[in-house]
Amino acid sequence: MTAAVIAKDVRKEINSLDGAGAPSLKILRGVNLEVAPGATVAIVGASGSGKTTLLSLLAGLDSPTAGEIHLAGTRIDTLAEDDRAGARAGTVGFVFQSFQLLSGFTALENVMLPAELAGLDDARGRARDALARVGLAERLNHYPHQLSGGEQQRVAIARAFAGGPKILFADEPTGNLDTATGARIIDLLFELNAQHGAGGATLVLVTHDEQLARRCNRVLVLKDGVLNG
Amino acid sequence: MASEAAAFAYAARRLRRGWRSGELLILALALVVAVGAMSAVSLFFGSMREAIARQTGDTLGADLVFRSRNPIADETLEAIDASGVRRLPAVTFVSVIVSGEVTALASVKAVAEGFPLRGKLRVTDEPFGPAREPGRIPASGEAWVDLRLWQELGLAAGTEVQAGAQRFRVTALIVEEPGRGFGFTDLAPRLLINQADLAATGLLGPGARAQYLQLVTGDADALERASAVVLPGNVKRESPQEAQPELMQSVRRSYDFLVIARLAATLLAAAAIALCAWQWGLKLRDEVALLKCLGARTGYILRAFMLMLLMIGLAGTAAGAVVGYGAQQVLALMLENVMQVTLPQPALAGPLLRAGGLTLILLFGFALPSVLEACATSPIRVFQRDARSAARLLPMLAAVAAVAATLWLQVGQWLGAAIILGGIAAVAVILGVLAWLLVRALAPLKRAVGTSWRFGLGNVARRRWSTVAQTVALGQALLALLLVTIVQQDLLASWRAKLPPDAPNQFLINIQTAQLEPMREFFAARGLPAPQLWPMARGRLTHLRGTVLRAEDYPDDPRMQWWINRDVNLSWSDRLNDDNEIVAGEWWGEAGAGRPLLSVEDSVAEMLQLKLGDTLTLDFAGTPVEFTAHNFRKVDWGSLRPNFFLLAPPGVLGDAAAAQWLSSFYLPSDRRALLRELIRDFPNVTVLDIEALMGQVRSIMDRIVGAVEFVFLFTLAAGLTVLLATIEGTRDERVREAGLLRALGARAGVVTRGLIAEYAVLGLLAGTVAAVAAQAIAWLLAEQVFQIPYGLRPALWAAGAGAGAAIVTLLGWLSLRGTLKTPPHVVLRGTT
Repeated sequence: MTAAVIAKDVRKEINSLDGAGAPSLKILRGVNLEVAPGATVAIVGASGSGKTTLLSLLAGLDSPTAGEIHLAGTRIDTLAEDDRAGARAGTVGFVFQSFQLLSGFTALENVMLPAELAGLDDARGRARDALARVGLAERLNHYPHQLSGGEQQRVAIARAFAGGPKILFADEPTGNLDTATGARIIDLLFELNAQHGAGGATLVLVTHDEQLARRCNRVLVLKDGVLNG
Repeated sequence: MASEAAAFAYAARRLRRGWRSGELLILALALVVAVGAMSAVSLFFGSMREAIARQTGDTLGADLVFRSRNPIADETLEAIDASGVRRLPAVTFVSVIVSGEVTALASVKAVAEGFPLRGKLRVTDEPFGPAREPGRIPASGEAWVDLRLWQELGLAAGTEVQAGAQRFRVTALIVEEPGRGFGFTDLAPRLLINQADLAATGLLGPGARAQYLQLVTGDADALERASAVVLPGNVKRESPQEAQPELMQSVRRSYDFLVIARLAATLLAAAAIALCAWQWGLKLRDEVALLKCLGARTGYILRAFMLMLLMIGLAGTAAGAVVGYGAQQVLALMLENVMQVTLPQPALAGPLLRAGGLTLILLFGFALPSVLEACATSPIRVFQRDARSAARLLPMLAAVAAVAATLWLQVGQWLGAAIILGGIAAVAVILGVLAWLLVRALAPLKRAVGTSWRFGLGNVARRRWSTVAQTVALGQALLALLLVTIVQQDLLASWRAKLPPDAPNQFLINIQTAQLEPMREFFAARGLPAPQLWPMARGRLTHLRGTVLRAEDYPDDPRMQWWINRDVNLSWSDRLNDDNEIVAGEWWGEAGAGRPLLSVEDSVAEMLQLKLGDTLTLDFAGTPVEFTAHNFRKVDWGSLRPNFFLLAPPGVLGDAAAAQWLSSFYLPSDRRALLRELIRDFPNVTVLDIEALMGQVRSIMDRIVGAVEFVFLFTLAAGLTVLLATIEGTRDERVREAGLLRALGARAGVVTRGLIAEYAVLGLLAGTVAAVAAQAIAWLLAEQVFQIPYGLRPALWAAGAGAGAAIVTLLGWLSLRGTLKTPPHVVLRGTT
């Protein structure tokens, strides 16, 4: 079976803002990773260790300085940004620390977006189901600012699953929530993942939260730009 | 894959949910203003030109007049008829009229039933008696005369006069006769008769000198066809525009005003659109990054946003067209009342197409670049807020091209557009430099003031470049608003003042030299100021540069023929009237006395292809005098004061010409009875009452001024839109800061006063720099475009600074009022 995510010797360097002369900043110094379909992986590490950078590279939001990345069987590091977006459509879901809901859209409309972008039928029905599963069946037409932080993250989780993704990337999903709410969100995330398709989606998450990391099959530590399992 | 339909659905939903967001609302508002201004002015000016042509048609008595010395040939008449106009013949000729023992030379006019085709014939029963509209022409055997013939023949109602072989009973005195014209050349007294009596007079035999007229009226298309009929050389065509140059000059000037108003409105709207789109583009970046994260391709996002723009454009254009059409109706109503004509319904297709074109240019030139820029946002922005797309050249070029295209659409020529574009850029740079200097000067002040002001001034100084940018934007908008005020108040007032209420409304002609002293005594005895007097001689132009002039040498130049065949008036003076301006050569002053020099009006100089130093010979009743062209003059015929095509220094003509004098004075309407005494004491003097004509010109000017002021409302609206856009642009940042300050313990009052201080300082800066620039531009406009004197207005500087501070503070406070009451934690959570 093809791995869901493969990273081979992935490097990321950023040129110093001072311009010529100054050495570039090496964030990732050769990351190797292979995630099997349905696996749940937590990437942990100190602040500034490059966790989010690695996540954005794996999801194809950015391109590496060197190395190979495969996403659901497609090599994406050689693709242009637009083609990487195409590769994500219908394949990848996201949960962000800061929820990233469109403030002008209702909960339902936010959740409909991935299915619509993937050209799936009945985006509205799927979104309604997804919101019902996160316990927000009564709040379909509320705008983000009318929801609490925990509710907003539940909308984001519903959105992540509504498009039927094979891989779910989560960036500090509990980072903006209090401990109790965070715990409920973690439960919800794993519960939904378990219900999702055959064997669940592949889950790659970046977190500081040890409780959350422990719920995953694998915990990888990013230190000095290198990933250690 | 996401389809077109999905992009459309996204755009529609996005618009439905997001139209209330400040930027899109202001963007749509700016479109409405731009399209409204453009269509109102195009629609209105088309109608107004037509209406004024009609009104001047009233003075001509027809929409077009064909004139010939011989009866106009049948084939020419058929060609005129074929154009679909209505035609009425008339004949004028000069003849001796006899009443008892008295004779007088009069201009006889024979008219047919239906005369006049335009305007109203008004008569009275006794000199200066109440006027009425007879609604007919003189019946067969009747004659109507003007005051001058009445005076010369010493007539009374019912007296019989004889013209040729026919006797007529005088039944009315003509007060106003359309087609009589106003000038100092065509002033033989009038005898108006029915055309049916013409043959019986026996006066039109072979060799008789007569003018055969065909008066014509019809709709615009028919008139256009009639204007294009090819005429034989002896037939001259006269249009209302040629008949009343003083009115047409006003009309042309009013169009200049309207174009400036419209241009200012459009440019401001464009600036507002660009500002809103830029702010919208900034806000779109997060959305674009998220959509890309969720798998949307750039093309899909771009299509969705472009569709949004198109939907806004469609709605804005439709609303703008409705506003423009409504405004045109209001303007038309304003004119219809005073001109007593029904303005033609304007053609809609052209202006609407242009409005649509303007919308596309505004949207795709000013708004699309920002959207394109937003669409280039990297998806990594979901993690890194400061990730942005690199500034690209294309959007910048698009904006510059759009400004140029807008200007071209408005001004109609590239050079003009380029000059304005350069002017705007120069003004922006000057505003920027002034603002930077002022911001620097302000910085030390913040230590010397209270907490609120320290916060406000601190913000101004801390965000130095943002302050400068805002001052430039606010300054441009305030500049436009100030210009509107200046143009409206100063320039329009100066224009109107060219015809002040006490401008001379009576002309006296034919005054003999011996009557000058008695005339002065007449006025002094009645407590009126002594009238101004101009000497006048009539001479015929016989030689140009030593060569004999013959009319037949100029078969294609009717004006030249007219000049050769008629006596022209010449006056002399050592003083130049202030409605005259020397354009070549120099005025002679007192040094010219006795030298045979000539000052020629510039259009005549052009017609004669004169150069300074050329000689012209004028024959004054058999005595030729050779003059040398010494200078050329531009004359403001719109002043309605006596002016002459030819002027000489005093003391040249001596006894060569029997000099008559011309006078003009202002007579209040309650003293009109004095005219009766005047013609009793000076029976040979002709009174020419131009009160009615002046009233007409003045009322048209007033309406045009009203119309211009109305169109300036669009400019005002556009200016306020820009101000709103500028303030809305920094709203979020200010809201966050205010929330933070309140969270740190600042009282709401302190925060509010701080914000007010900041806006007041911004407004003050922008208002000051705008006032300086407005003053300079107004001076340029006055000197170069409208040729109206214009001086420095120090009060304007204070007014500009004060108004700037007041408007910006008010708009800023209105924009932030709601959020200042919001609890700080809500503000800081970023969910407002």
